Amino acid sequence: MQRNLLGSTCCVAMLLCALAAPAIAQDITIAGILPQTGPSAAVGLQERQGVQYAIDEINAKGGIRGHMVRVNFDDNQGKPDQSVLAFNREVDLNNVPVIITGFSVPTLAMAPLATRKKVLMINPAAQSNRLGTASPYLFNTMPLTRDETEVLVSYVVRKLNKKTAAIIYENNAPGIDGRDDFTANFTKLGGKIVSDDPVPPGDTNFRPMILKAASNKPDVVFINIVSGDTLPQFNEQVMQHVGFPPIIGNTFATPAMSLPGSEGWYYTAIRGSLPADVEQGMKDKFGLKDVSVYSREYYNATKNIFAVVAASLIDAKKPLTGENFREELLRIKTFEGIAKFTFIGNTAVRNIDIMQVQQSKGVKVGEGTVE
Amino acid sequence: MNYLLSYLIIAEIYALAAMSTNLLIGVTGIFSIAQGAIFGIGAYIVALSTLSDTLPFPLAMLLAMLLCSLVNVAMALPSLRISGDYFVVTSLGMQFVLTAAFTNLPGITGGASGLAGVPPPVLFGVELDDSQSFIPLATLALFAGMACYWVVMRSPFGLLINAIREDELAVSAAGKNVLMTKVGVAALSGVYVGVAGGLYSTFLSFIDPSSCDISASFLLLTMFVVGGARTLAGCLIGPALLMALPQALAVMPIPSSAAGPLRQIIYGALLITFMLFRPQGIAGQKL
Amino acid sequence: MLFLQLLVDGLVSGCAMGVVAVTFTVIYTTTQVFHIGHGAIYTLGGYVVWYLTEQGAPFVLALPVAIAICAAAGALIQQQLYNRLMQRNATPLVLLIGSLGAALVLENTLAAVFSPNILNIVTSWGNQTISLAGVRLSLAQVALLVSGPVLFGGMVAWANYTALGKRTRAVAANEFLAEITRLEPRRVHVVVLAITSGVVAIPGALIALDHGMHPYTGTLVLLTATIAMISGGLGNLVGAFVAAVILSVVQTVSTIVMPGQWSIAATFGLFVVLMIFKPTGLFVRSTA
Repeated sequence: MQRNLLGSTCCVAMLLCALAAPAIAQDITIAGILPQTGPSAAVGLQERQGVQYAIDEINAKGGIRGHMVRVNFDDNQGKPDQSVLAFNREVDLNNVPVIITGFSVPTLAMAPLATRKKVLMINPAAQSNRLGTASPYLFNTMPLTRDETEVLVSYVVRKLNKKTAAIIYENNAPGIDGRDDFTANFTKLGGKIVSDDPVPPGDTNFRPMILKAASNKPDVVFINIVSGDTLPQFNEQVMQHVGFPPIIGNTFATPAMSLPGSEGWYYTAIRGSLPADVEQGMKDKFGLKDVSVYSREYYNATKNIFAVVAASLIDAKKPLTGENFREELLRIKTFEGIAKFTFIGNTAVRNIDIMQVQQSKGVKVGEGTVE
Repeated sequence: MNYLLSYLIIAEIYALAAMSTNLLIGVTGIFSIAQGAIFGIGAYIVALSTLSDTLPFPLAMLLAMLLCSLVNVAMALPSLRISGDYFVVTSLGMQFVLTAAFTNLPGITGGASGLAGVPPPVLFGVELDDSQSFIPLATLALFAGMACYWVVMRSPFGLLINAIREDELAVSAAGKNVLMTKVGVAALSGVYVGVAGGLYSTFLSFIDPSSCDISASFLLLTMFVVGGARTLAGCLIGPALLMALPQALAVMPIPSSAAGPLRQIIYGALLITFMLFRPQGIAGQKL
Repeated sequence: MLFLQLLVDGLVSGCAMGVVAVTFTVIYTTTQVFHIGHGAIYTLGGYVVWYLTEQGAPFVLALPVAIAICAAAGALIQQQLYNRLMQRNATPLVLLIGSLGAALVLENTLAAVFSPNILNIVTSWGNQTISLAGVRLSLAQVALLVSGPVLFGGMVAWANYTALGKRTRAVAANEFLAEITRLEPRRVHVVVLAITSGVVAIPGALIALDHGMHPYTGTLVLLTATIAMISGGLGNLVGAFVAAVILSVVQTVSTIVMPGQWSIAATFGLFVVLMIFKPTGLFVRSTA
């Protein structure tokens, strides 16, 4: 009867863990459903660190109006079905009013549930265009791919006078979205796309795509490679190629900034900077060399949006339900934090800067906001 | 409550998929590692039909069952000419082809982002939009599947299948149609996995290529191996255990970056251990 | 020009894949085990070199160490896993599942120890390029282009002219007889795994040098290599190598006419078609 024993032991263990969670009346509990294992784990960890740091900061100062904050982190392995399970677990067992999420595909999977259960979902980093209308309860704090690309294209066509472009993109959801948006925006402003070449996700042999893109001699090459850790290889192979056209990219290109060979690259960056003490604090606490854009955004979403809305609700003596969070967020509408941003609809409108890599550093060369 | 029920529902869905794998690999000896993709076909068909309002849920499920059956048969046919090891690679090939189709045809399948907002099943006018209302459907499907399996295995057809696995040549020499029997099993297996897929996408309201890729096929294989071949108990135990595993790992103090690979290591270790010491799985028969 | 460059790039990848295909063929014909773990050994080679170069060792010293470690790992799997399964009269299905388990454990151990991220081997010379007749190659690519045929030739020579090679072929041809005539098939299996695993570490390390690797790199390479092996006709080392090179070239060059996201699907799709119509492979040599 070993199988029954194992099965029931697992069930009991799970139940005990759930029951053991202290039900202190004063605590505010939210959930963070992020990949802690699987291919997206590296980014998931950075995101979690951002949230954790913010929560620790808040609690160190006595919590939100005296209420301590707890975050239940759930590992969704980057998968939609695990996300749904985690969502149900947190909402049923712990009654969380707010969930911090990440990555487009899991977020899209949970969005209909958020609507049905009236739980506020904050997405600090995913940018798939569908997230804009996925749920009235889902709020995106980063401009979506469409908006960022619009700014990039506008600069490239109007200021740099480029007429033809090739695209190299990663063949997954954000990669394809970026390609589609770039194509739409570029052709709208009169440009011509001479080729587009997909890269299998996570693949590091870029040579065929580099050769193909260069063979048509475009004015610029737009790269939308989402897996940041393949960028060093991309960089090297581009350098080996010699005479590759200028490269433009979006936030995904940021990891390439300090690499040799990305000299002259243009890319968009969502404006936002952490206060120096926070940045140093994070580096010390987690032993990091740099604080990634993900940690920054997640810190911001927790500290400057969630905590602000929560405080506002407590001041107004309203119960902390998902519905109230949503209403209050829409009422406050404009937030200050690592940047100033305003929620138009469900997505934040923020300043998007154009940067260029000059001597291994990103230098701002232009600006744009989205209408 | 909802959480526990949603866990159960997913386990039941995987049990149906495990039954399908069992029929194919355990009963007939057609070693296909493409069941994840066929599962995906069922999921996508039902999702697309209900999303575009073309078919009501019951008809969409029937369509999924039919199509998955046909695909399974088409896939099983080459296995008759190719030896076991070669067929594995062939089935892997089919898995890759289907995954590519799911990812690269955004007009039809929503591409890499998948299909979101799949409407919940509507049966007899009732919308099954949460775990509590869905579980009767899932449980009913599972029981129907189990009953069907039980009946088939005890029927003359079932005896024939067993005989084929033991000694195909003898059965052929006795004048029985081996080909049609194998095709029949493949078709039945397709029905099971089609139902599982359809329930999956309507329960989660979502389907994307990552839910039916090679790792899904490996997971089904591991469930089959651990649970055991050719028994109903095996089809239930395998999924239940393998789904409890990540939950159990979650409460253990392991560093995050190691936890995901650790899960896979455990699957691999399970496969090795079972093959070395108990090839018939926990509750199965001789592999 | 584009065509020529792509052709050469395809040849380079083909050399790597060819070595994998040839070594895999030797394993399969000798032991009858579909050793999926071979892909993980290939990856292991890359990781050992990475680790050692990170500690400051030069590439040329790290490589022999990687070869030795991979040889040991391969031999271990054969001895502890496959030999035992064979002793228990395991069916091919059981062997296959066991092999899959070994692959999962090995790859994920690499992921757990070294993280699942992509790692790059940094050397002072790996990325320098040379230009030959208008075609540009990195030094790592040149190394691959040279080592491929050399290793292939070496394996063929070993199989045909050395005592161990001949003994291996005897075991492969008729294991029962080999058992009776005291050729010690089990021992031979272990040695074969050791040799082939050591050899496959070389393309593993060179590819890792050329464009990085992650723990699961080996799987797709292995699968494509098995397609080459089967298409080339089983047991035929030359067929396996040639098929691997052709396959790789076709995959690379086809990006000119076909959208890249379909290239894996096309490769496997064609293979499925081939299996339906000619399950014995393209270059079948009639064997006894």
